[in-house]
Amino acid sequence: MYYIHKIASITHQDSFIQKDVNDSLVEIAEDTVLISPDYKKYVLPASLRRLSPILRMAVAAAKECQEAITIPFEAISVGTALGCLTDTEKFLNVINTVEGDILSPTAFIQSTHNTIAGLISLELKNHSYNMTHTQNNLSLEMALIDSMLCCDEGKDFVLLGVADEAIDFLNKLKPIVLPENSIVTSGTTFFALSKKKSKSEIGFLACRSIIKAKEIEMEIELFLQELKIESKEIDRIYTNQNSLDLPKEMVVNYEAYSGLYFTSNAFGVHMANDWLIKEAKKYALIVNSGCNNSLGLILLKNDKAQN
Amino acid sequence: MDIFITGYGVISAIGKNVEENFSSLTQERTAIKQGLKSYTSKFKVGEIGLSNDALKAEFDLKTDGSRTALLGMVAAKEAFKNHSHFDTLRTGLISGTSVGGMDISEVEYRKQMAGEEPNFKQYFHHPSGTTSEQIAAELGITGFVNTISTACSSAANAIMIGARLIRSGQLDRVVVGGTDSLTQFTIFGFRSLMIFDDEWCKPFDNSRKGLNLGEGAGYIVLESQKSLETTGKIALAKLTGWSNASDAYHQTASSPDGDGAILSMNQALKQAELEPKDINYVNAHGTATPNNDLSESKAFINVFNGKVPPFSSTKSYTGHTLAASGGIESVFAILSIQNNILFPNLNHTSPIEETGLIPIKNIQKNTEVTHVLSNSFGFGGNNSTLIFSKI
Repeated sequence: MYYIHKIASITHQDSFIQKDVNDSLVEIAEDTVLISPDYKKYVLPASLRRLSPILRMAVAAAKECQEAITIPFEAISVGTALGCLTDTEKFLNVINTVEGDILSPTAFIQSTHNTIAGLISLELKNHSYNMTHTQNNLSLEMALIDSMLCCDEGKDFVLLGVADEAIDFLNKLKPIVLPENSIVTSGTTFFALSKKKSKSEIGFLACRSIIKAKEIEMEIELFLQELKIESKEIDRIYTNQNSLDLPKEMVVNYEAYSGLYFTSNAFGVHMANDWLIKEAKKYALIVNSGCNNSLGLILLKNDKAQN
Repeated sequence: MDIFITGYGVISAIGKNVEENFSSLTQERTAIKQGLKSYTSKFKVGEIGLSNDALKAEFDLKTDGSRTALLGMVAAKEAFKNHSHFDTLRTGLISGTSVGGMDISEVEYRKQMAGEEPNFKQYFHHPSGTTSEQIAAELGITGFVNTISTACSSAANAIMIGARLIRSGQLDRVVVGGTDSLTQFTIFGFRSLMIFDDEWCKPFDNSRKGLNLGEGAGYIVLESQKSLETTGKIALAKLTGWSNASDAYHQTASSPDGDGAILSMNQALKQAELEPKDINYVNAHGTATPNNDLSESKAFINVFNGKVPPFSSTKSYTGHTLAASGGIESVFAILSIQNNILFPNLNHTSPIEETGLIPIKNIQKNTEVTHVLSNSFGFGGNNSTLIFSKI
């Protein structure tokens, strides 16, 4: 078990520093916006001006996790599907419009995927292992697998996080690259993980990423079988998939609350975690199904729950 | 647990396979020259003189993709050639890239800015993760696929994660490395940082001005003992040490004393259970920027306690291939071990004043090479070290 000692999410929901993220959920709509905390509490104003939304929210969420555990993280593992899009687009504009040899490097510097994890290491003055995974909609799973590995290798506390940001340009990619009816959003979720038991006693039990999944229900069966858990033991399923052949009352569509970004399953984990606490239930499964038949499965367990 | 290397593949400006690269290195022949593309023509770059169509035709590539993906397919296919698929082996691909499909996106984006009809379908190729999925498809790998994006240390980190997944028993065999193509985005990006040398880069020279960019891809195949028993492969070398550490100093620059680099090299030596004196050759990150080479040199002096082993930067041949560099230079490290050869650092005349360190200036043959340490440092102070050892 990889216990969750802290979760911090900044999303289009009022999700940051909430006791139970499920309390104030509203279904996502076209005019929804990112609900940002006062970033000045997390980043010096002089630095803040240069930071794009993805960097601001990731640093704030990471710092909340650091504050909760007080000792330095021994590894930082970040997942992002599309990285720092605001600065990427900004620099694309610069190179196509600015004449002459003098270009501002800020957008370029902050356009690379590892700006997120790199900036966190700078802000936390953290010299440990620092990794950035980017595997489309399986980016959380990849960062999580690495975090679990870090814990197994003896690292005490690991900072795991994901972040993705929306830019207007993404709407132009509908319906060819992105689904026509999707609402493109931004979001970040960070976790403080350890093999040490957390107060909630809830943690990640297992994670699987499948690049070419066959039938989703069958993959779930196989995953649970290997863990020696019966499917009837699962109390709830959080998924972005509407067509699962499962009892409706136990399925929650997290994307209806997160909107579309390719690491939004982390918000599904956050919702599941808070639900397991509130209901004192044992197992929640997060089923993340992407285009090209990719599939991510994450199982959360509550050690306090009896059954 | 031993991590065996049973295949390697590389494409860079100095050659389109391992043999050609080896031949250029031993003949001390750089391929950095004035660029051929509209956006590279002002600079000296390590460009691969084959168009995307030529790459597809010459290497019989079945999968479409960005230039980054195509270069990755070429090198990964060479690494994985003569390897078969086994149902009993869990085989994966972990690839590093920093630009992903930007070579395609930047063209489409420019078209759109100019008011032309954009072809939005082309953006399917953009995500870095997609380049790895395309490379995996070309190789027929359907298991674990992951992409690492930590700028210039991406491939080294991909190799490290592959080794850790084998050691933990999650994978039996994994193709690891990295790929990056030259793009207008990166050329303009590094220009904005003002760290280009208009002439041939001079790693570790006192008068070094900056780097030359390059493109390419390099991959190796890692296998566990259990996997070797199934595949029957003969190992070329072993991967014995790896580490990643953060400088946590500046968004782009390295710390003056190379704090992150020292951590990363020390931890890799510890992981390999080696003493600094055991290292026979260091393939340096050596970008030839004033900042990197001074900081890395100081880190060498610290880690090796003043007795710095023979070292060189092969970026003076290939240019700095960014996310691919750790993959390409891992292949060079293995070539050094296999052939007992140390590759010289080109364009060096005078040592850095503060350190006095002199890299290998002439090829050294018939010198026993047992352990090679390879550094890759990325933006944001992402420092990685790999250690390769003779079987």
